Amino acid sequence: MKETAISELELHDEAATEHGAIALVDRSIRVPVLFFFGSGVFWLVVASAFYLLSSWQMHTPSAWWALPGIAWLSFGRAYPAFLNCYIYGWATCAGIGTGIWLLSRLNGVSLRSPLFPVIACVVWNIGMITGLFSLLAGATTGRQLLEFPSCSAFILFLALAMISLWAMTIIRHRKRETASISEWYLLGAFLWFAWMYATANIALEIAPAPGVAQAAINWWYVGALVQLWLTPVALAAAYYLIPVISGRPIYSYKLALLGFWGLALFGGWTGLTYVIGGPFPAWIVTASIVAKVLLMIPVLAVAANFHLTMKGHFGMLRDHLALRFVVTGTVVYTAFSFAGSFISTRSIAQFTQFTFVTVMQNQLGLFGFYSMILFGALYYIVPRLLNRQWLFPKLVEAHFWLVVVGFVLLVFDLAIGGLIQGFGLEDPQIPMIAVNDLLGPFLAIQSFAALLLVAGNLGFVVAFLLILLISAPVRQREIAIEQSNEASEDTEAEVSVA
Amino acid sequence: MNKINRLFFGVFILFGVTWLALVAYPYLTFAGLRQSKDDATGALAPLGNPGAAAQGARVYAANGCLYCHSQFVRAQDEGNDIDRKWGTRRTVARDYMFDRQVFLGTSRLGADLSNVGVRQTDPQWFYRILYSPQTMSPEVSMPAYRWLFQTREIQGQPSVDALKLEGTEAPSPGYEIVPTQEGKALVGYLLSLKKNYPLPEAPEATE
Repeated sequence: MKETAISELELHDEAATEHGAIALVDRSIRVPVLFFFGSGVFWLVVASAFYLLSSWQMHTPSAWWALPGIAWLSFGRAYPAFLNCYIYGWATCAGIGTGIWLLSRLNGVSLRSPLFPVIACVVWNIGMITGLFSLLAGATTGRQLLEFPSCSAFILFLALAMISLWAMTIIRHRKRETASISEWYLLGAFLWFAWMYATANIALEIAPAPGVAQAAINWWYVGALVQLWLTPVALAAAYYLIPVISGRPIYSYKLALLGFWGLALFGGWTGLTYVIGGPFPAWIVTASIVAKVLLMIPVLAVAANFHLTMKGHFGMLRDHLALRFVVTGTVVYTAFSFAGSFISTRSIAQFTQFTFVTVMQNQLGLFGFYSMILFGALYYIVPRLLNRQWLFPKLVEAHFWLVVVGFVLLVFDLAIGGLIQGFGLEDPQIPMIAVNDLLGPFLAIQSFAALLLVAGNLGFVVAFLLILLISAPVRQREIAIEQSNEASEDTEAEVSVA
Repeated sequence: MNKINRLFFGVFILFGVTWLALVAYPYLTFAGLRQSKDDATGALAPLGNPGAAAQGARVYAANGCLYCHSQFVRAQDEGNDIDRKWGTRRTVARDYMFDRQVFLGTSRLGADLSNVGVRQTDPQWFYRILYSPQTMSPEVSMPAYRWLFQTREIQGQPSVDALKLEGTEAPSPGYEIVPTQEGKALVGYLLSLKKNYPLPEAPEATE
């Protein structure tokens, strides 16, 4: 079993030796994609440190490990630092890397100037570093997920505009007549992200919206960021990797269409469900709630499509580690969306909206859905870029199980703790202090679960560093042993816009 | 090529609609809000924040108060905020019309602060909970914000803002602990959080 675990993660690009086209594509994007992956992994480490710090600060605010008295590392700064580093550092860098790899590969386009995305990546990191230090120094906008001050936001936008324009150019200059499912999502994702990020920063910082319109725009942005940037990137990766690794074509083209257009239609409306009961005209919040419930239609279409594609072949997950990460992520996507719709209805939100239940739902999306698929993507892509194989498959196995155990513990802990907190908050007879007292043990378990998650992710970081720095290139003879996957790639590519 | 254009067009239009509804529409309509004028007394509401409060709002943002404290009161059919004495009526768009930064918040690990300036009127109370929350109630999960304070030698009369602390927390004789400029601004902002004026669109909740 261990041997098969290696062989899945190993190179099997028949094309690399046969017609060389894919090899050429991979060689041309190797440096930019690795730059983005490397940045993503770096920010994952930084985000993990802030995640551990902020979760320990939550239940022991005055213990020495909570670093009391240090303004720069206090909870009110460590917590947004964690979220920003995780979303804009890890998730976005890994997502852009995966996105440009997918686009180049699907279009058979080899990059004319790999320097362009490399510069974009460097610019992005400059924006991240200046933004993070501003945030820690207290120079923040105080808007959730838009904390970075406008100069850092502008640098980030420059990088984003470069990448988005470059992605659009690839799609427009494609050789094939049709676009594959992954490309629909990537086209949408790159367009939407640049648009929403520019809008939010202009309407909140440069020409600030009046009063509560700021909150509306802020939450519109957060909803769109999750549904129309992170979600489509992860789904694009899943729509490519599941058929390619499993060797089975996507079950239904129509379900894929429904899933994509449903997401495009409803995704941008969902943000205001975070502030139900807020000081807005009732229709705005109601529209958001309705969209979030209707979002279950595309989610179920995607879930059914993946399930029917994999049906009868789930045994493959035992040996194919990259596929196991991706399929786990798609399953959590359904859970994440269902939980989101459920806690967005007014009668449920009354009890859950200010509690750890919402944190739990966000982490279902970030840790369970998005990151699992992206880990799978990196496990698949990196060896192909480097022509090397992962050392120590046990490390990958440990990464998977540590993350799964930590994640399941985290989700149940926050769900139960959050519900208790919610019912406590809604009972005016129970003082706030007593509510937080009840929450105490759950916050302690959260810190333990966070430790497991971070340990698992560090396993991934070590594996990434090993393949980057130590692992030797795979010899041709070993490549030849691998079975061909070309057929399945073609099947996927043919599923295209009608 | 046509197919790609159609895809691009669809993606553009669908997002454009949400952009118009949730960005452009609030941007334009909330700019048209005016103060409410009481028919009997001619009093205007809301009156807006004093300048110091705007500086305090930046300190509020810088220290991440918004990650644990919300600043909006839900109507009675949407939650028990009013029963919890966090306000006597729901908050509406007009309450925030003068705010440069709006901190609605999504977590209530701490109390809602929409009307904290109504509940607590003594700056000392705020200085105390910011400097040493655990001495006010040992179980509170709020961290201390000591960098908003400084210990200094008493020169002449003790400062009026000096913290009244006992036991181990107390400064050495001849010294006092006073809020910094930022600390004062933050407390000024918190004291200004009062949404207890009447607005016609949000009548007081009835029992």
